Amino acid sequence: MVMTTPPDRIGTPEGTPAPLLDVRGLRYVYPGASVDALAGLSLAVGAGEFVAVVGANGSGKSTLARLLGGLEKPAGAEVATVCDHDLLTHEGRMNARRDVGVLFQNPENQLVAECVEDDVAFGLENLAWAPAEMLARVDEMLARFGLTELRRREPHLLSGGQKQRTALAGVLAVPRRILVLDEPTAMLDPAGREEVLAAARELRAEGLAVVYVTQEMDEVVGADRVLALEAGVVVYEGSVDGLFGDGDLVRRLGLGLPAAGELALELAARGRTVTPLPLTADDLLAALGGAS
Amino acid sequence: MSDHLGHVVERGAQASPLHTAGMALECRDLGFSYTEARTQIPALRDVAFSLEAGGSLALLGASGSGKSTLLQVVKGLDAPETGAVLLDGAGGGEAGYSGLQRQVGLVFQTPELQLFAASAREDVAFGPRRLGWTEAEVAAAVDEALELVGLPPERFGERHPYALSGGEQRRLALAGVLAMRPRLLLLDEPFVSLDPATRRELSAILVRLRASGVTLVLATHDVDLAWALCDELLLLDAGRVRAAGGWEFGEEGAGLLGAERLREPFLVQLWRRLGRDPRQAPRTYAEAAEALA
Amino acid sequence: MRPAVAQYYPGDSPIHRLDARAKFVAVTALAVALFLRDSFAGLAVFAAAGAVAYVLSGVPASWFWRAFRPLLWLVGLTFLAQVLFAPGEAFYSFWIFHFSWEGLAFAAFLSLRLLVLVLIGSVLTLTTQPMALTDGLAWLGRPLRRLRVPTDELALMVTIALRFIPTLLVEVDQIMRAQRARGADFGSGGPIKRARALVPVLTPLFVLSFRRADELALAMEARCYRPGIVRTRLHPLKAGVADALLLVVTAAVIAAGLLV
Repeated sequence: MVMTTPPDRIGTPEGTPAPLLDVRGLRYVYPGASVDALAGLSLAVGAGEFVAVVGANGSGKSTLARLLGGLEKPAGAEVATVCDHDLLTHEGRMNARRDVGVLFQNPENQLVAECVEDDVAFGLENLAWAPAEMLARVDEMLARFGLTELRRREPHLLSGGQKQRTALAGVLAVPRRILVLDEPTAMLDPAGREEVLAAARELRAEGLAVVYVTQEMDEVVGADRVLALEAGVVVYEGSVDGLFGDGDLVRRLGLGLPAAGELALELAARGRTVTPLPLTADDLLAALGGAS
Repeated sequence: MSDHLGHVVERGAQASPLHTAGMALECRDLGFSYTEARTQIPALRDVAFSLEAGGSLALLGASGSGKSTLLQVVKGLDAPETGAVLLDGAGGGEAGYSGLQRQVGLVFQTPELQLFAASAREDVAFGPRRLGWTEAEVAAAVDEALELVGLPPERFGERHPYALSGGEQRRLALAGVLAMRPRLLLLDEPFVSLDPATRRELSAILVRLRASGVTLVLATHDVDLAWALCDELLLLDAGRVRAAGGWEFGEEGAGLLGAERLREPFLVQLWRRLGRDPRQAPRTYAEAAEALA
Repeated sequence: MRPAVAQYYPGDSPIHRLDARAKFVAVTALAVALFLRDSFAGLAVFAAAGAVAYVLSGVPASWFWRAFRPLLWLVGLTFLAQVLFAPGEAFYSFWIFHFSWEGLAFAAFLSLRLLVLVLIGSVLTLTTQPMALTDGLAWLGRPLRRLRVPTDELALMVTIALRFIPTLLVEVDQIMRAQRARGADFGSGGPIKRARALVPVLTPLFVLSFRRADELALAMEARCYRPGIVRTRLHPLKAGVADALLLVVTAAVIAAGLLV
């Protein structure tokens, strides 16, 4: 499940354009809570970047996803600009909802309409698109996500993976500049997981800025950058390899490791350190073969 | 492992469930179908296998292969159309069969759906109460089960189920079944949508349960979990048995798994590539690390 | 499986192709007209119109029968009422039961009228997709917006409710099975005991639904939904000549039914 990095994306030499998403000191408190869910978080993402956000339950990742989508009002921030919209203003948040797409964890609770094609059209209907243009766009999205034969199917007859693909098609039917995915594969079986991951992989090749929130380490491979959250703040920001190289941090964050990584952590506990954490049997064998 | 069990035995007046012998299970030519959208869908066809008391069986297969249906027929929620389910050698209709069925515990997928009571204790007590135990026996079983799943009763007993996190709710639902002291435990995809930390902890709990003698049947997509917990496997495809028995890691075995889009367990693959005998591959990462370090 | 009255039978008959609004208006007008006059002759006219619509719709008889079946008890009740409180001369009496020709004829009329009503109503629901029907009703109800009635939002609510019915049925079944696996018994005991046995099913269902509502609302907002916005439709309602014809024919049938 390795995602390949397009070679000419990272580190563009000439003056990099202003980031699509620029957030500094972002705070959020749940009503009635005494502790900040987000306690001063900073993040900048440019067009075409694929940024992974990892963290345990309660670290603030889902809160972040909702805030980036303009779906919640921040408690405060120094800067909170998303696609030139200010998240601190009501109008800014409403506009952000158009430019930022958010895909949630539970496929069942994102589908509104009685059949696939109507659900994919839902966002466009809300934006008052003309029926003819809507139909063309819906056809395009259905084809793109392999849903054309299922277009009149009712949601309860779809598999988990199909539901999540339908939800994704519906989110992307509205032309977006940023896509935020909040643990999109958590409730899916392996087949469904693979379908959604494949779709996400295609997207990054298209220049969309992607923020991928997950608890599974094997889903962050190939990301340009990864942020690790703990108790509402960023405790690590950098390359994916860098995070894999810090076994203690990974263990502390309680992240889901692929089998090779779990084994490596057990080996480390017995004095045999394997760095960076391997993701596949190949990585592990190479490290073991080399180390001894 | 022994610490935990020792603790449980000390607290309870009744013998801990973990020290009761497991139940033997046999299925003979099971057939079952159901109607959906006016078509008859055969969910199980000629399913036959046997599992000795205290054994552990992994039920593998793609979505729709009949795993959940088989578990529900074994528990007795659905009567088979053909064939029979034998618990400890006794079939339906024989004396004592319903008593045996009550000793079969079934944990559904996303069992949090079954939580309804006002407190964790009350919810876990639901099952034991229906077994006709005295209030004292029920209370002991409830506390024991809560302790076992990692929700100490002093801290969690009076908490409201809906105020718990997803992982805690999953544990609570599991406790609700364990409190009934099952001798045969059926689990349907126990770790779906769980966070990694809870997955690890519940894995350890299941390992302990198995070691205590309870017969275990685990339906799952996760081949590595199946490998860690189960000595035998049953591979289902569209309601039919494709393979049954021990894990075979010859050409044919790997091929059978591959045909169902399942791979061999990671540790097995690793052992093979290290030039060691794949049939001797360790079951857990801890054991593997011991062998390699 | 949804109850028969709300079930849609996919097809491409002339009736299927009619605009939902025209069909709704026609059916409502016929339903009202049915009750304006007590006459077998008039009833025969409406029944004939219903039969023609049934034939044109191409929907199998078994689907209509599913709508009639639950009403048979009501028919029985009607006859019973007439037999207990018979107007006119009884030709045969037994204890409190009095059989009179007038009573029986009236019971027959009431029953047949009910069946014709269901026949006409079923033509509507069997040939009109729920979404089209709610859209149509929202359009027809537009004048109510002047009175601050949120017709579009209500229409969306109905659509969402219908969409989740099959899902909820599956979830109820799953919850009941899980509780049965814990020893719950839904079948035995008197009404109070049975009602109490449903608590372990209804409570989780409620919680599940509230949680669902929260998540769904968020997902809808993420796709730019807000109450009060003007929304276009992927499949807009389009009325044509056939619909105008339907209304004319309906008016003629009503006239005939009331004057015959």
